Amino acid sequence: MIHVQKADEAIIRIRRLSLKFGGLQALSNVSVDVRAGEILAIIGPNGAGKTCFLNCINGFYHPYEGEILYLGRDLTRLKPHRIAALGIARTFQNIELFSGLTALDNLMSARHIHMRHGALLGCIFFGPTRREEIAHRERVEEVIDLLEMESIRKKTVGSLPYGQRKKVDLARALCMDPSILLLDEPMAGMNVEEKEDMARFILDVYELKKIPIVLIEHDMDVVMDICHYIVVLDFGRKLAEGRPQEVKDDERVIRAYLGEE
Amino acid sequence: MTLDTLPKILRENARKYGHRRVAMREKDRGIWKEFTWEDYFVTVRRFCMGLVHLGLQRGDKVSILGENKPEWFWAELAVQSAGGAAVGIFTDCLPDEVKFYAEHSDSVFAVVHDQEQVDKFLEIKKDLPRIKKVIYWDPKGLWSYTDPILLSFGQVVEQGKAYDKEHPTLFDQLVDQGNGDEIAAFCYTSGTTGLPKGGMLSQRWLVESVREWAALDGWFGKGYGYLSFIPPAWITEQGIGIAGAILAPMVVNFPEEPETVQENIREIGPDILFFGARLWENLNRMVQARMIDSTYLRRLIYRLALPVGLRMADMKGSRKGPGFLWRAFYFLAYQAVFRQLRDRIGLSNVKTVYSAGGAVSPDIIRYFKALGIDIRLFYGSTEQGVMTMPRQGDIRPETSGPPVPWVEVRLSHDGEILIKNKYPYSGYYKNPEATEKMMRDGWFSTGDFGHLNEDGHLIVIDRMDDLKELAGGKKFSPQYTEVRLRFSPYIKDALIIGGPDKDFVTALINIDLDNMGRFAEAHHIAYTTFTDLSQKEEVIDLIKKEIKTVNATLPDWTRVRRFVNLHKEFDADEDELTRTRKLRRTFVEERYKDLIGALYGDEASYEIEASVTYRDGRKGTIQTAIQVNRIEG
Repeated sequence: MIHVQKADEAIIRIRRLSLKFGGLQALSNVSVDVRAGEILAIIGPNGAGKTCFLNCINGFYHPYEGEILYLGRDLTRLKPHRIAALGIARTFQNIELFSGLTALDNLMSARHIHMRHGALLGCIFFGPTRREEIAHRERVEEVIDLLEMESIRKKTVGSLPYGQRKKVDLARALCMDPSILLLDEPMAGMNVEEKEDMARFILDVYELKKIPIVLIEHDMDVVMDICHYIVVLDFGRKLAEGRPQEVKDDERVIRAYLGEE
Repeated sequence: MTLDTLPKILRENARKYGHRRVAMREKDRGIWKEFTWEDYFVTVRRFCMGLVHLGLQRGDKVSILGENKPEWFWAELAVQSAGGAAVGIFTDCLPDEVKFYAEHSDSVFAVVHDQEQVDKFLEIKKDLPRIKKVIYWDPKGLWSYTDPILLSFGQVVEQGKAYDKEHPTLFDQLVDQGNGDEIAAFCYTSGTTGLPKGGMLSQRWLVESVREWAALDGWFGKGYGYLSFIPPAWITEQGIGIAGAILAPMVVNFPEEPETVQENIREIGPDILFFGARLWENLNRMVQARMIDSTYLRRLIYRLALPVGLRMADMKGSRKGPGFLWRAFYFLAYQAVFRQLRDRIGLSNVKTVYSAGGAVSPDIIRYFKALGIDIRLFYGSTEQGVMTMPRQGDIRPETSGPPVPWVEVRLSHDGEILIKNKYPYSGYYKNPEATEKMMRDGWFSTGDFGHLNEDGHLIVIDRMDDLKELAGGKKFSPQYTEVRLRFSPYIKDALIIGGPDKDFVTALINIDLDNMGRFAEAHHIAYTTFTDLSQKEEVIDLIKKEIKTVNATLPDWTRVRRFVNLHKEFDADEDELTRTRKLRRTFVEERYKDLIGALYGDEASYEIEASVTYRDGRKGTIQTAIQVNRIEG
């Protein structure tokens, strides 16, 4: 399901998104456009509602008000697996991989939304099932090649160091052949060299697939370097938005991050 | 037509074997892809024509910079087919170093692997006016690069195919014009002292001397399998991987990534292999470390089997040979342990195994001999190729074997090794003075100190320049001690210090982070960084014990009396090591001279502030206190 995108056309239109947990207002009236051909950064202090925002797009949380329009459909009432099937992939702050499986198996599992054979046909390996398995394996190997993961493909995820698990997480999202990528703090816990590698991979993905990428990130250097547009959240509200240079100089943003004098 | 150049022999191989025999394999996306001799030849032909179309002329040099992949070999043969020379550059060179090699060699093209190497060239291209095009073979990450100097390998092959069609006889003409005297490749020397020098290798060197070598060691005509992971910028790979594979012929297998080499060796099970000195040490260290981690039963069986293997190794070398009982024990030990061990490290099939380029501890050679692997430690250099080679059945751990049939070896009065060679190198490029300096009355002076034993075997002790004297004139070889120290799993590197102004010998030690980390975990010692771990009391005691073990085997005045655990590892990016991982002694001693002063002084510890250079070129500082440790006895 590939949607042909015009540059600057909004792929996802988010309007008046509001989310509450009992008395806690997680998001208030947030409106954002995710445009084609753009890497969008969502930044803000801790607790600003960034991951909640992503979780709404994904279908993990359902907002009590507002709409998320993608290809003319409102995502707010859909279940997460339906949203995934529409081509929206994401990575997680806490990784959430199957730690008992190998990296390769985790990646193959992401291909499930594209698999045509059901459980019954899957019991008979030879014939159409085998052909399909090979086709999926080929796609997965392409992603492994892109992210330079050959040396860990057969390793159990639970035994991998943190930085490499994050890579597997990103690879898994890519194996879904997504039309949009949502990344939740992909560089958290990495040293300079690992961050540069991750930034390079994100850019490679962007240049190769030409899909919009929404990125939650704390490292301002990274955000300034690779993102085209920034949305700043604070206490669940949209504080500011704009090109990186505009946002960096915005007084309200500086005050939110560094506090009042 | 005599087959006196590699391109001619390649053409002949394609004619003889066509698509019937595999010449190369590459693991791509998890699957081993095969290339036949016909495939090899056709790609070389087309790439060659592509380069000629772009302006390559006879005698031109082309820089090649990338990991071991078929494209590297294809590019080199293509350049040689047109009568040019390939200049290999190490992949981890910084842009400045790359600029030196490309500029000094007067390269007109650069054939590079991927985005990383392309970026280096784009950074330095304004200083390299001679470079016409930069040709890359892995397009990942380069999709939006628009610099007109860039061209893909595939594009050049396509253009070459068309050009070949227009000029169907040109390729054969170019190949036929080649002869043994033409320079085929440049190998820049390691540069442990001063700037690297460009050693030139002729077609004759690649064809004739390698052919004699293959015949001597019995891999000629056997169709062996080989795994290519040694940088072709180094002469050994030129000899075995590039020339040897075409001459013997052999199947060359290319690994997926440098990180998967060990895994790929297991998959391929090569017949012939070359591991540098450090690689053997690392392999041995890895086995020992894994043993420490394994179950009680396995450790027990290993501890029973290993002495049997070592005893067998010793007896095989002696005159009497092993008796029936020991042979039976060894058979059991081999079936129980060594066969599996060899399979785990991928060395089940190896028949010819080499090492060179640095001193290998005789203990390591003995260890692998116990496993049934006879490592041949030969003596060779960029300038003279293989000079001495242990012969099958007569391999002695302490020697480098007798001279090869085409080389004569002599010792000067102060013990320097002098060589006369039927197939010498062709001098240093643009450096006749240095070339001249190496010759003494028609003999090539190697700069190495050694002696010939009563069986005519050569024993290489150390570089002439590295021999040290203590106060009082006592000579010693730091390298001998360093190699023995590195045999410990906990010591990754060691630098031995001593001089005419010093009364005793001391050492700078790099702990092995992996194994020391395991030790710390097993003994519940908490640590944060390498620096922190290196100064822990338990760690220091452990290193002290290791040094005492080595001291016991050394003559009294050469024993290590004091040592420090360095706060950081020696690093090639900071010029402390060469690109082939050899220690740059003078540089390091100069850099740490204050610390060395403290080693010989009275203080118990030393405050150090060191500057470090990160991989991306930035600089930072580390500040820490280093313990000065004394060894009694």
